[in-house]
Amino acid sequence: MASCCANQTEVSNRGDTLKRVVLVGNPNVGKSVLFNALTGAYVTVSNYPGTSVEVSRGNATIQGRSWQVIDTPGMYSIHTITEEERVAREIILHETPDVVLHVLDARNLERMLAMTIQLIEAGLPVILVVNIMDEAERMGLKIDLNLLQERLGIPVIGAATARKRGLDQIRSALASYASGKEGAAPMQFPYASPLERNVQEVVGLMKGEYILSRRALAILLLQRDEEIVSLVREREGEGYAAIAAKVASISFERRESFHLDLSLERNSMVRNLVKGAFVAPDTRVVTWSEHLSRWAVNPLTGVPLLLLVLYFGLYRFVGDFGAGTLVDLLENRLFMERFNPWITGWVKEIVPWEIIQELFVGEYGIITLGIRYAVGIILPIVATFFIFFSFLEDTGYFPRLALLVDRVFKRFGMTGRAVIPMVLGFGCDTMATMVTRTLETVRERVIATILLSLAIPCSAQLGVIIALLSKAPGALAVWGGCLMLLFVVVGLLATRVLPGDAPMFYMELPPMRLPQVSNVLTKTYTRMQWYFLEILPLFVLASVLLWLGKVTGFFEKAVDAMTPLMASLGLPRETAVAFIFGFFRRDYGAAGLYDLQTKGLMDARQLTVAAVTLTLFIPCVAQFLIMKKERGWKVAGAIGLFVSCLAFGSGYLLNQVLLITGLLT
Amino acid sequence: MKCAFCGHEFDEKEARQGCGACPGGCHSVHCPKCNYSNPLEAKLIRKIRSLFTRNDDQGGDGA
Ligand SMILES: [Zn+2]
Ligand SMILES: [Zn+2]
Repeated sequence: MASCCANQTEVSNRGDTLKRVVLVGNPNVGKSVLFNALTGAYVTVSNYPGTSVEVSRGNATIQGRSWQVIDTPGMYSIHTITEEERVAREIILHETPDVVLHVLDARNLERMLAMTIQLIEAGLPVILVVNIMDEAERMGLKIDLNLLQERLGIPVIGAATARKRGLDQIRSALASYASGKEGAAPMQFPYASPLERNVQEVVGLMKGEYILSRRALAILLLQRDEEIVSLVREREGEGYAAIAAKVASISFERRESFHLDLSLERNSMVRNLVKGAFVAPDTRVVTWSEHLSRWAVNPLTGVPLLLLVLYFGLYRFVGDFGAGTLVDLLENRLFMERFNPWITGWVKEIVPWEIIQELFVGEYGIITLGIRYAVGIILPIVATFFIFFSFLEDTGYFPRLALLVDRVFKRFGMTGRAVIPMVLGFGCDTMATMVTRTLETVRERVIATILLSLAIPCSAQLGVIIALLSKAPGALAVWGGCLMLLFVVVGLLATRVLPGDAPMFYMELPPMRLPQVSNVLTKTYTRMQWYFLEILPLFVLASVLLWLGKVTGFFEKAVDAMTPLMASLGLPRETAVAFIFGFFRRDYGAAGLYDLQTKGLMDARQLTVAAVTLTLFIPCVAQFLIMKKERGWKVAGAIGLFVSCLAFGSGYLLNQVLLITGLLT
Repeated sequence: MKCAFCGHEFDEKEARQGCGACPGGCHSVHCPKCNYSNPLEAKLIRKIRSLFTRNDDQGGDGA
């Protein structure tokens, strides 16, 4: 075969010191795990030239010989559709692999073998790795690997790379390929006569040298694969006109039936291949995690599932239990009834100056306000939130959520990838803003940053607000509705205003599983530990600043200055305090609101307006600084200004709407 | 370790220096593939774990 010779010459030109193996296969078949197992630590991940697709390369020494291992993005077929698939094929076409390792999922053997046939048909040196054998066996599937090897004419290895099973066989198969022991000619897979004749007619006209076999190229030409068309046009020179004419006449003759015929033919080939080699039990055992995984990704079931998760996780657990029961216990029973009176008396006894007493145990005292907020209100809320978050994380739900929201996020100029910062945003917006740098385009980063600073409340703020509003029926729904509406409107607007296209999103799904209690608890503990290390000094500092503000009278002036603004929102004067707190930290502001409600200063309407405005309102100082660092002064300043105006504007409008409609009264 | 978001397995030591941008110092291990911040195990937990782990869990890939 000409293609093989071309391949061989290029290999020998490169010398036989560095062999090259390319991993190909569908997404989510464990390629990356195999890649990591082969390469170890020395890996470079870089964008493939001219694309936003990442390709990992690493080195491996196998039986004394150096190999370069390349992990390609997931592909379903040699006939490429997505950018990821194009990159994967580019690598096969231009990096002249010595071995193409096709990894597939044993559970979906039948569906995935079609690509193996394509790879063999293309004349590539293929080794087939039937991965995830352990799961397949658990499901009762029986796979005769020897029979498969015989029928395909290439090495077939059963593996479970996640359990390090089959790795040695893969290594030795690679080694014997490198030493030329695998000389057997690969099988031919002829099509039924009319289709086969068409393919042969095109092949007969081709003269050029290619890496892929002429047979595979002819089929791709007939599928009107544009890249292959231009490749063939370039290589064939004058002869191309005849090929193009032939392809056109076959297409005309067959109308649209070519694709259909081809896929039917391939299906029957695969059926013949697996006949007797792949036996599924009569009733296929579908594990609960597969069910759940499918439900989570499908919009019809995924959205209700998400709502369930949010209801039980956020509303019942974080809102009711954390921000309700636990806060009541700590804040009211412990701090307000016992600890604060005791510490106040004690400090007043040993410190003679009132101004210093105020610093520690006054209205804005470090202990009576800062520590109380941190331990009495924030601690139980973030604890329950982090338990919930770590639990979800451990199930493997997040990547599915990313896939689920991908199609929605596309309308906002983002991909499902943006779910990572959004989800993290519910933990802490500051951290999330930083993570927006993982997004591929600057445009996507800016949109995500805006949405984060606007409509994603951080965990503590969220918990407090849920606790606050769940006491007034309907208030929570109004609050949630407002945030959703703004998220959508601003997202849609941002996509219109900011130039550029939405990038592609692709992700391998790790399996879903039952979370381990120890994992959840250790993660929760770890997250809480650093959260507290981070916020306690800030709360203390905020208390000191507030105390300074009070002593100098500045605070009073600021509240005065904000009074008209509060009045325009229909809020009592005291709410300004919560907004000033909120500027230090989002959760601090929410805690301030909680305080006001406990004192009975606000009705349901006012609470809702305040909560909406405060949630939308300017990101806390830390988030703003990170925004500045990540996006620069101009963008950060613009976002800050935009968000503040939008927050107060929405608060004003909402108040008017609530007043006119009489909702929530 | 294994990234809790995308499942990418990577060397913890390699990724730890990768961030340096988290406020208050980075307390997490950022995944080199998706940059998800995985919580860095607290010292206390590490100690407790080392008391309970049997030898076969610590073998690594040496064997
Ligand atoms: Zn990751
Ligand atoms: Zn970090």
